[in-house]
Amino acid sequence: MIVPVGAVLGLSAVLFGIGVFGFPARRNIILMLISIEVMLNAVNLSLAGFSRYLEDLRGQVLALFVIAVAAAEVGVGLGLVIALNRNKPGAAVADLNKLKW
Amino acid sequence: MTLLIAIFYYMAAASIASALLAVTRRNPVHSMLWVLALFLHVAGIFLLLNAEFLAVVQVIVYAGAILIFYLFVVMLLDLPDEAARPRFGKHWPLAAAVGLAFAALAWPARFGAGLAPASTRVAAEGPRQGNLSEVGTALFGPFTLPFEMASLVLLAAIVGAVVLARRRAAGS
Repeated sequence: MIVPVGAVLGLSAVLFGIGVFGFPARRNIILMLISIEVMLNAVNLSLAGFSRYLEDLRGQVLALFVIAVAAAEVGVGLGLVIALNRNKPGAAVADLNKLKW
Repeated sequence: MTLLIAIFYYMAAASIASALLAVTRRNPVHSMLWVLALFLHVAGIFLLLNAEFLAVVQVIVYAGAILIFYLFVVMLLDLPDEAARPRFGKHWPLAAAVGLAFAALAWPARFGAGLAPASTRVAAEGPRQGNLSEVGTALFGPFTLPFEMASLVLLAAIVGAVVLARRRAAGS
């Protein structure tokens, strides 16, 4: 074990916290999706760290599935962004209040 | 050994810095480029964790495909007055508090406290993991059903994205 597992888990927690901050704080839909990517990367990091520490390959396989789900999420999310942008130009979430009452 | 640990701490510091810059920059394209830096540094950490295939997939899928997709959408949308708007919503201090609470989890995690085989495998270099054949054997052996489900999820996402982003025909 070259890299200490605690450092990997701590780094993962900090990156996840940055993503958790970015998602509600930003007002641009694309940057909110980018914050989700940061969070998913943090989770992948901790999965790889556990996989190395426990010498078990399942963590890496799970991280691959997370990457596949992230790709699906990006496809649907950006499709939604394009559809929203066609109706109302600009990607600020504050303008999207049609469903609000 | 110590060189590798120094490289790890460089990668960790650089990924934290680029993640912070990515969620705080005003220009979305700059944000994308900082996220690219984050993805590459995380791929480097995967290499240090002996997860070579994961590192390659990270570079190809995340940095290669997903980020290019984001950049295409940003350029397609031509965000007009992004620079004039405030970057954060009104409730960003609350978001910062929640993010800090999550980041504080790094403190109990710093020694890997509570993990099961804490000190037994530190000295022994384990069997070589993360190479392509072992991951492939795991994917097509015990994980065949989840693997096929992942392909189904991707297919559903493709169809969903096409349906969402399609321009409605004039008569329908």
